[in-house]
Parts: sequence; C-alpha cells; structure tokens
Amino acid sequence: MKNDRQRTFLLITVPILALFVCFNTIPLIRGVIYSFTNFRGFGKYDWVGLRNYIDLFTDVRVGKSYLFTIKLAVVTTIVVNVISMVLALGLNSKIRAKGFFRGAYFLPNILGSLVVGYIFNYFFTYIIPALADMTGITALSKSILSSPDKAWIGVMIVCAWQAIAMNTIIYISGLQTVPEDVYEAGGLDGATGWKQFRYLTFPLIIPFFSINMVLCVKNFLMVFDQIMALTKGGPAQSTESISYLIYNNGMSGGQFGFQSTNAVVFFIVIVIISVAQMKFSGSKEEQL
Amino acid sequence: MKGKRLKCFGLALGCLAASFLDIAESLELIPTEGTYIVPYVANAAGILYNRDMFAEHGWQIPETWSELIQLCETIQGEGILPFYFGWKDIWTCLAPWNAMAVELSPSDTAKQVNRGQTTFTQEYRELAEKYLNLLDYGPGDPFAYGYNDACTAFARGEAAMYPIGSYAAPQILSVNPDLNMDSFVMPAGDNKEDRTLNSGIDLGFCVMASCENKEAAYEVLDFLLEYENMQKYIDDQNAVPCRNGEFQLASILDGMLPFIEEGNMTDYQDHYYPSEMSVDALLQTFLIQKDVDAFLANFDTSWQRYNRDIIRMVQEYEQGR
Repeated sequence: MKNDRQRTFLLITVPILALFVCFNTIPLIRGVIYSFTNFRGFGKYDWVGLRNYIDLFTDVRVGKSYLFTIKLAVVTTIVVNVISMVLALGLNSKIRAKGFFRGAYFLPNILGSLVVGYIFNYFFTYIIPALADMTGITALSKSILSSPDKAWIGVMIVCAWQAIAMNTIIYISGLQTVPEDVYEAGGLDGATGWKQFRYLTFPLIIPFFSINMVLCVKNFLMVFDQIMALTKGGPAQSTESISYLIYNNGMSGGQFGFQSTNAVVFFIVIVIISVAQMKFSGSKEEQL
Repeated sequence: MKGKRLKCFGLALGCLAASFLDIAESLELIPTEGTYIVPYVANAAGILYNRDMFAEHGWQIPETWSELIQLCETIQGEGILPFYFGWKDIWTCLAPWNAMAVELSPSDTAKQVNRGQTTFTQEYRELAEKYLNLLDYGPGDPFAYGYNDACTAFARGEAAMYPIGSYAAPQILSVNPDLNMDSFVMPAGDNKEDRTLNSGIDLGFCVMASCENKEAAYEVLDFLLEYENMQKYIDDQNAVPCRNGEFQLASILDGMLPFIEEGNMTDYQDHYYPSEMSVDALLQTFLIQKDVDAFLANFDTSWQRYNRDIIRMVQEYEQGR
C-alpha cells in the first residue's frame, strides 16, 4: 500500500520536475556558463573568464540601469501598496454592489501588460497634451514620456495601474482573516479609525503585507513590458531598466555573454532582496 | 581563410553592379580574398519631400547645406513645418546622421579609428554641429513622436520634408496612398559636386561553405537575379536593384536617379557601429542635451569599450602585414 502511494506521488512529481529542470534549471546553468564568454548570440566565442564581471561593475550604463530600476521599484511599491490598502479597506466594508466594484477594480490585472502600455503611450503622447491645452495647464502640455526627467513617472503610473488590482485582492483576503471580535474588543477600549488600523488591523495582516511587498519589489525590479511599450529605454537612455538592457543588448545587440553576466548578478540581487524582506517581515508577524 | 569565388550558375558575378560589390568588400573588417555576398537590392536614404507642396509653393531642391537651411527658413516663413522627426523611436535618429555623414566624413572612418589613425571627435565634429541645426526646423517636441507618428504626419501633409530613407515609403503610403512623394540626396557641404547618395545593401544572399546543395542554391540565386523577377521585386519594394540593366525604378526615387545611374553611392556609417553600443540612443541623448563635446567624447570612449576585441584583431592584422 505504502509503495503504491509513493509510486503515485513519484509519477506525479517526476514529469513536472523533468520539465522544470529542462526549461528552467538547464538554461540557468547554461546562462551562467555563457557569462564567462564573449558569446554574441551566434557564431563562435572565446572564454574570457572574469572579464565580464569586472566590466559589469565598472560599466556606467549598467550602473544607471540598476539605479533607475531600484528607484522605480521602491516608488512604485510604496504607491501601489498605499493605494491597494486604501482600496481594500473600502472594498471590505459595508458598501452596496461590493462584488461589482471588486470585479471592476480587478479588471486592469487581466489585460495584457504590453497592450496596456501601448494604450497608455497613446494617452500620454496625444490625449493628455490635448486636454492640457484645452484646460490651460501648461505643465502637462508636453508628453511626459519625452522628458528625460519625468518619463519614469509615466512608467510608474502604468505599472501601478495594473499592479494595484492583484495587491488589493491579497489585502482583501487578508482583511477577511481578521475576526470581528478583535474590532469589538478594540472598540470597547476606544480604538477607532486610524488607531484601529495601526494597532489592530495592520499587525494582524502583516503576512499579507510581506507577500505583497516581496511580490511587488520582485515584479517592479523586473519591469520590462511597460518599458518596451512606453519608452524603449528612452528618452536619453533615462528609462533603461535592467531587464530591458539585458534583453536589448543581449538578444539584438550581440552582447549575449556580457548580458548573461548581468542576468546572473541580477538574479543574485533579487534573491538577496527577497530573502531579506521575508526575514524582516517574518520577525514582525503577530499570530493570533 | 581561403575565399570561395561565388559563381552564379549561368549568370556570372559580372551582372552585379560594381558599386555594391565595393560596398560589400569594404564591410570586411580584415580584407579577405573573395566575394561573400550576392547583393540583391539596396535602398536610398536622403530626404523625402511632398512633391505637390513643393510645386505649389515653387520651392527648389537644395544642392548645398546653405541652400537647405535657406529652404527651411522659407518654408517656416510660410507657416509650414519643414521637417517631421520620429525621434521617440531612437533608430530614426540615425537616418539624417547617416545621410550627412557620407558627405562630411570619410567612408572608412570607423576603420581608421580601429587602426588608431584618427578619432571620432575629429571626424564627426562638423557632422554633430550641423545635425543640431535641424532641430530648429522640426516639431516642438520631436522626442514625443515615434516612427509611425512621423510617417502618418508626413503622409497627411503636416510637414514638407521627412529626412528618412526610401524604406519608409510603404508605411507612409499606407496612410495616404495618394501622396505624391519624391526624394533628394541630403546635402551637407558647401560644394554640390561633393554630394553622394547614402545607400547600402538592403538584402543580400550568402551561401554557407558547409552547404551540401550549392548548385541548387546557385540556381535559386540565378532565378532571383533574372531581369523580370528583379523588376517585380523592386516594383513591390521601391528598392534599388544591385544588378546592371535597365530597370524601372519607383517614382519616389526620381530625385536620386542621377546618383544611382552614376553609381555615386556610399554605405551607411552605422553599418560599422556595433548594435550594443546603441549609437542611436547616444544620438537621441545628444539631441536632447545639445552638448557636442560630451557626445563626441562619449562616442570615442564607448567605441573603445565596445570594440575591444575587433580593435585588437585589426591591430594584430596591421602588425602582421
């Protein structure tokens, strides 16, 4: 009996494991191997040892892409989580047509991010300047995506618009795990409004908060679709994200080996950040 | 490495225009014996202009840089936008650059730099300064609009000229099939005799040394190079044929015909730039910041960084000679 069960479990896991190894682990290992070469993506290549890694840490363009991506990730994470939390509190309370609103607010998430990017591109380039001209707000009459200083704000808006949906759902489910009697007990002691949120609600939903933070930071560090659709790294190379640089120079730029190095370092950075986040949030969790 | 002489089965290499074979030869970083490509069609990159608009206002095709600037002033004076740029798509920044570079810098600039004989700061200074002048005659925010936007705007008559190659014609005509378009070679200097057409091999064929069916491959190439088939292809693509013979070229190339017939053409400088160097992005940054010295210095430093292996290869070859 026991061997039968074990065999069933093996039969289920082994094929999936094989697929995972074939399409994830093996390419990962090959990527690491390529990072020690000057492979252009085609043709023959030579081993260059650690030259790529040394170049990576002295490359200004790579450095700027890390700074930009981290800036974008931090700001977007904060914006998304604040708005999602507010929305979740609202969608969890006693309002009419709650189901309809929850569905409506989730809609951005199911749209393809590239298509959303292109539509927002059109919006920022033509519609907003036209509206600005009509109402006389000169600050917005130039497309935000053509300014090297402000293009990242456009990218942030599009990323946030889509990410808020998923975060809100997670916060709603988190809020629903908080039992009513906690609020009743707190109400007796005079905890209402902001106090109620800060001392009662928030500590009890920290696991959901940490999941959201980890997912947000990871997703925004890997931003690609929005860059492709909105700015393609411009203007003046101000919105080149790490993923975009890896893809652009690695695939169509003939720098496959060097960008593999970039990808390896990027992978390590994301793992470190995620593990640090989980450890930090895990220590703050309150279990009822 | 020994070269293999490409012999078309039936048609000899002699049917191909010498100017394009020369362009193919000069693309080799280290000169190697033999021909490695059958150039099929080329493009022509200068400035596209709205023929009807020019006829209506009586504007003349400029043949020198000062005439071009004068023309832009005249057009602007009549309240019409001289140029439209699609610089949000950074590759379009290369179009006017290439068109002017063929007249203002030697065609083998990149190779000279690789040999250590000159720098881009020296060769591209005039080019960079003149490029900045064009900004005054384009839309207020050229970095907001991409290639498609610019093609659409030009097709709708929102600008008199569009500094891009003949390859943009299908896109433009898809917006406005009735547009009466022509093109002229972009003048960049003061001497009209120095002008040369910016053209390069758009499509070419190679046969791999390890191919087991070379005779069959040559038969296909012969078929493609036959007169009627070539004519069909260039009709469809508004392209310039690379083989000799009397061909009917698309009407948008009328202004370029003298140069094509004489074989007075020079390859794109950007065929020597490695794509990871993103010269188009550097150009867009330069056009936004308008700092000529910073741009040229950055060009030289980036060049050394991205071409390390090639420069070493070239210098080893030079020393071995």
